[in-house]
Amino acid sequence: MLQLNHVDVCYGSFKALTDISMSVDTGELVVLLGANGAGKTSLFNAISGLVKPAAGDILFEDKQLNGMKASGIVSNGVVQCAEGRKLFPEMSVMQNLMMGAYVHRRDRQGNRKRLNEVLELFPILADKANEPAGSLSGGQQQMVAIGRAMMSRPRLLMLDEPSLGLAPLVVKQMFETIRQINSLGTTVLLAEQNAFAALKIANRAYVMENGHLVMEGDREAMLGNEQVRKAYIGA
Amino acid sequence: MNLFFQQIINGLTLGSIYGLVALGLTLVYGILHIPNFAHGALYMVGAFMSYFFMVDLGAHYWVAMAGSAVVVAILAVLCERLVFHPLRHSPPIHDKIAAIGILLFLEAVVQMFWGSDFRRMSSPFTGILNFDGLIIPEQRLLIIAGAFVLVVALQLFLRKTMTGATIIAMAQSRDGAFLVGIDANRVAMMTFAISGVLAAFAATLYAPINLVYPAMGHLVIMKAFVIIILGGMGSIPGAIIGGMIIGFAEALGGFYISTSYKDIIAFGLLVLILSVRPQGLFAKGAH
Repeated sequence: MLQLNHVDVCYGSFKALTDISMSVDTGELVVLLGANGAGKTSLFNAISGLVKPAAGDILFEDKQLNGMKASGIVSNGVVQCAEGRKLFPEMSVMQNLMMGAYVHRRDRQGNRKRLNEVLELFPILADKANEPAGSLSGGQQQMVAIGRAMMSRPRLLMLDEPSLGLAPLVVKQMFETIRQINSLGTTVLLAEQNAFAALKIANRAYVMENGHLVMEGDREAMLGNEQVRKAYIGA
Repeated sequence: MNLFFQQIINGLTLGSIYGLVALGLTLVYGILHIPNFAHGALYMVGAFMSYFFMVDLGAHYWVAMAGSAVVVAILAVLCERLVFHPLRHSPPIHDKIAAIGILLFLEAVVQMFWGSDFRRMSSPFTGILNFDGLIIPEQRLLIIAGAFVLVVALQLFLRKTMTGATIIAMAQSRDGAFLVGIDANRVAMMTFAISGVLAAFAATLYAPINLVYPAMGHLVIMKAFVIIILGGMGSIPGAIIGGMIIGFAEALGGFYISTSYKDIIAFGLLVLILSVRPQGLFAKGAH
């Protein structure tokens, strides 16, 4: 579904990603592990069209994404839920969700159906529908961010550190919801530092260090890998 | 007492014009973070275009206003496409220098065609209304009503349409707007077009009670900057209320203190208000 071939990303003279080649298949939940500054966000931004790769190809369902505008990439079904949520803080929860449906704005019936599905995933958002998104708790804001991304009807949903800064109980619920989204048919690429929780719901994982992909494997291999356990799970 | 109310009408007139100009300026700043010094030149071109349509082509005042709005909107979009868009990844000082460059360029072009003389533009609204001794020229009433209608129309556009919502979304979170697939170029062009339309309307409304000349945008843009700093950079209510504060202060200050000091009152108020509230009246945080 998603294929990256030898992708480099540079910010001026600083090389943030070097020779990244990876793939995500339809229906998979793939985890991208790595410490702060490893390059996970740069990789997501390159796929989303927010930064231009200096080299390499990014293909989604055999369509070239590099060179495409960010708006075109969302229209093609590749949607990012970014670190820090990037909500519209003064808009209500409902307005935030409906802005998520921007690329499908003419399909009102489809959007209503999608909204019901999102509110089934996050029932609390129905109660908070008219409150400004910026006034919600961190966990609820994360729900709005994922809900907004789901309103874009992603075929590939990229989640960047969705558990960051959340209480442990909320983190548990968040991972359960991500698993549910994946089981309902959305392919998920998840960047996380919370390696144990992420690997528990993943099919496969990649490990990034200093802008390089250094390891790849399925869930069992990763959970059993001593290097991964020491570096990311702490056991 | 009538003299006081007379000054209130003058304050409302000035505040309406300042508010309209400041609205365009604050929209562009709030969404694209460009301090568009060339906005004063767009205002000036707006007045000259209306003058051209009315005097040279013999068009009616309303037709001239609509024609001027279209021309200035296109000009504003061209400024965005040809100048500000290519500079979007440059340091912020480049935008400022470019904006001043556009200002000087447009003034030179207007001078080339019309010279630097002061011109007078007529309007079909030359009557004077007398409300029990309170005298209101029709044009001033038109300015106040026109500004009110434009502000309401802008609010409805921003709050009730999807295109308006994309502009608000972009102002609240640029990254968020990209993530939901909003086309930043489209929003930028739309914002510049709206700012151009507002400048042209303000200039055409104000020109019949003022003069039309190439440097007419200087003082207006200076005051519009004072207003958006005062009201809070990027704040729409801030631009409207700030415009009214400056308009009233000038009208009342000019009448009760001295007309010689009326222009300095705006800057005095700016210093006073920013000493108490550095982020401006309506902004949530300092920029």
